[in-house]
Amino acid sequence: MNRKKIYSNWFMVPAMAVFTIFFLLPMVISLFFSLTVWDFHSFTFCGFDNFKTFFSDSSLYSSIKNTMIYAVLTCVLKLFLAFFLAVFLTSKIKTKNFLRSVVFFPNLISTVAVGITFCALMHPSKGLINHVIELFGGNGMDWLGNTHTALYAVILTDVWKGVGVATVIFIAGMQSIDKTFYEAASIDGANAWQSLKAITVPLSRPAMNSVIILSFIGGLRTFELIWAMTGGGPGYATEVMASTVYKQYAAGYYGLSTAGNVIMFILIAILAFPLQKFLLSKEVD
Amino acid sequence: MKKRVVAVFMSAVFATGLIAGCSGSGDTDGAEKKDKDKDVTELSLLVDTANASTAGFEAVAKLAEEKLGIKVNVETRPGGTEGDNIVKTRLASGDMADLCVYNSGSLLNAINPKEYFIDISGEEFADRLDDSYKEAVSVGDAVYGVPYQSSQAEAIMYSKPMYEKYGLDVPKTWDEFLANCDVLKEAGETAILGTFGDAWTAQIPFLGDAYNLETNAPDFAEKFDAGEAKWATTPEALRSFEKLADTTPYYNEDYLATTYDDGCDMMANGEAGHWFILSKALTNIYDLYGDKVNDIGIFGMPGDDAANNGITLWYPVAIYGNKNSEKQEAILDFMEFYISDEALDAYTEAALPAGPYCVKGYELPSESYDAVAQDIQSYLDSGKTAPALEYISQVKGADCPTICQELGSGQTTAKEAAEKYDKDCEKQATQLGLKW
Amino acid sequence: MKKRKRLYILGDAAGLLAAAVFFIVPFAFMLINALKERREANLLNISLPDSVHFENFLQVFQANNYQIITAFKNSGMIVIGSVLILIIVGSMGGYVIQRRKDRTMGVCNALIMTGLMVPAAILPTIWVLQRIHLYKTLTGMILIEAALHIPFTVMLYRGFMGSIPVELEEAGYIDGCSGWKIFTKIIFPLLKPVTSTVIILNAVTIFNDFTNPLYFLPGAENATVQLTLYNFMGQYASSYNLLFADVILITVPMLILFIFFNKRIVDGMVAGAVKG
Repeated sequence: MNRKKIYSNWFMVPAMAVFTIFFLLPMVISLFFSLTVWDFHSFTFCGFDNFKTFFSDSSLYSSIKNTMIYAVLTCVLKLFLAFFLAVFLTSKIKTKNFLRSVVFFPNLISTVAVGITFCALMHPSKGLINHVIELFGGNGMDWLGNTHTALYAVILTDVWKGVGVATVIFIAGMQSIDKTFYEAASIDGANAWQSLKAITVPLSRPAMNSVIILSFIGGLRTFELIWAMTGGGPGYATEVMASTVYKQYAAGYYGLSTAGNVIMFILIAILAFPLQKFLLSKEVD
Repeated sequence: MKKRVVAVFMSAVFATGLIAGCSGSGDTDGAEKKDKDKDVTELSLLVDTANASTAGFEAVAKLAEEKLGIKVNVETRPGGTEGDNIVKTRLASGDMADLCVYNSGSLLNAINPKEYFIDISGEEFADRLDDSYKEAVSVGDAVYGVPYQSSQAEAIMYSKPMYEKYGLDVPKTWDEFLANCDVLKEAGETAILGTFGDAWTAQIPFLGDAYNLETNAPDFAEKFDAGEAKWATTPEALRSFEKLADTTPYYNEDYLATTYDDGCDMMANGEAGHWFILSKALTNIYDLYGDKVNDIGIFGMPGDDAANNGITLWYPVAIYGNKNSEKQEAILDFMEFYISDEALDAYTEAALPAGPYCVKGYELPSESYDAVAQDIQSYLDSGKTAPALEYISQVKGADCPTICQELGSGQTTAKEAAEKYDKDCEKQATQLGLKW
Repeated sequence: MKKRKRLYILGDAAGLLAAAVFFIVPFAFMLINALKERREANLLNISLPDSVHFENFLQVFQANNYQIITAFKNSGMIVIGSVLILIIVGSMGGYVIQRRKDRTMGVCNALIMTGLMVPAAILPTIWVLQRIHLYKTLTGMILIEAALHIPFTVMLYRGFMGSIPVELEEAGYIDGCSGWKIFTKIIFPLLKPVTSTVIILNAVTIFNDFTNPLYFLPGAENATVQLTLYNFMGQYASSYNLLFADVILITVPMLILFIFFNKRIVDGMVAGAVKG
């Protein structure tokens, strides 16, 4: 059949139109302004000074490191948790509908509200989490105030909030797997673990790829939760790329901040495009 | 199936919209009625949540509606970094409210007021402004704002009962202050209350040292603006960072999570010996705990010379008029009224001031919190006050709170923090077009 | 078989217990503190309130001249508008991108993927909106939200298309259907499950969006629900009781939508694809 005709370019036009006008165009404009000192009304061309300022800033490197830790950890944790949750929640347990709702529930609350709540729960002296730890004889700690734990505390909160979406994506993928595969497998004498490995894992590949890409990239550009919980602090301990850029933006250094955006984009692209290519190549197999 | 899903979804959301629409319309009717009352002009005012709807402002706004027929509609925005961001974005995109409440001093300088705000230097009421405050709301020859509230001391609050219990005296030097802290610490008390949960409070030990910096190195601000002096290489300036570093061992255990609000509670209940804070906290404490506020005293940050003790003043945020608004006349009328004796009386009646007003000839009322009426007043009487550095220098780095938070929690040294801050200021200088 | 059944019951029990600890406790925490008096709420513990203060909710409603009502209306409009756009343009886009792996689609896909990576450039976007007179309008906000969520939506549709066999379209082609007909009559109905997911996920994210309306839809009359949180969160005056009451009020619509849609997702998914 004529693929070009059936899968006409026109199908792509509406999406591209909206996306181009409201996203790509501003992005291209911002490339220009990243080379200027800009206050919205007037700009002075300054070459690559903005980039130099960024790279001479010691906090840039720690923020890149934090971003990587954040992205990898949230991605891995969400992937594994969500996969097994989805297997669990597609099994024959009675409460699965209820539990599905419960797992998804955190996603219904806005990031800011989640941040506020977990800050309260993690409060060093008044917080519920430390009270529980003390109840079991442990020593509570200042989760968000300690520079060594703050980032991980935010990561866990992110997983708590985001695992529901990943689970839903997995469930959507697993539900579309033909049941007869499993029947055939069980007739062949495969146990649950074997059919999980041989059927569920490969056939939920598209879903898995979506989860990896989404949570990895989501992790790389994470901002709202960090901002709501620590504001990048204490000091610069939880500063990530997006919060660095945001701070420059908020300070009114529009040129500098767009330069930061460009740096961030390049870094993410270097990591994400090969990852995506790799995952998609697996998918075709 | 699809259709049904969408239909249900849409009707659900539309229902919400309709219900909201119905109940909302009641309000609009009310507003229209007021509009028909020809004499009322409505002005919008953008203000951060912290300063919004304070009793003092509300009293003045009410009076303005009665006397001038100007009704002010308050629109709130967050404070801190987000707040800066909103103000700057709305100015840049030409969408500012008629009146805007924003910092005076170098932060005003940083938002390029000449483009956006009405120059009131030609107005008679601008002469009522206190000279040094006038400077803080001016850029070049143009004057832009009137004070939104009273000024405050950027200083150290101390618990009088605790001082009595341990037989301590108000320190005259920084070393004496640290010795006091040691006494409290050894007795198991919280020597210094840290509220780093709100990063801006971490700056106070650094910014509050301005009196000492300005008396020891009077030309620092000027040289700094010219790019000739740096924080890290000027010993007097570096001293302010060192003092902040000195405080690290004395904080309460959970100071990184403690917020300003928690701080008010703790200070009022005598749970801490000292607190580096703005004197506005007195108002909050008074609102929550009434007369307990008089258990709290204030002293300026001690320097190294026992004979020279002064206090740093933090000038109030100001009301600025939007240059591009169509209601110029009403805006000016309101600004003039806002600093009239009549309005100030109404303000004071509703809320006691946390420091002197920045209006010529308007005296601090004798009836105030003890810390204001006795402690701060005595510094005023002897003329030992200085404005915070941001009111005499053009440049304040945007990342100051974070750098101070990092230093105060012992992650960096004073020297490193000063270097970071220099770099941070450099970004601001570049944006302002200063040649450094 | 019996052993299996016991295993499932055990699974139920373990699931419920874990759910209670990890997911229900935080919610209970919000609810309980929403009912407390300010000073008690600021202690941040989970003990039952000394006395129940339902008037907190009333106070939240009244705050800032009943701002929350306008906010609900605005947020509702934004959510409907952008989600509808997303379903239409996203399903079409995901469909061709998955089916046609040539250069044009490769470029489109790569461009759209940038949307997942780069944070929006705020001031240039405002600049564009002003040029086409959509700044500070609900329409502008709807289109922005749509643009920001197109990458995710296209990705979901594309991922799901992978499980729909291409033979279906071939059959349709042989029957003489046009490309458009094949999509609307054969493919789109099969996308139901993922469309439900798209609706839920996008509706929730857009409804909960905090920063974008702050930039692109300023002004008190344009407030969205998330901004009402700021009424109770100040540098000098946090009141956790009102804050949590507000959180609950603005979460309820999404909760209702979800409870309602959750079942639909399950219904729709039973249909599944013909062959994996």
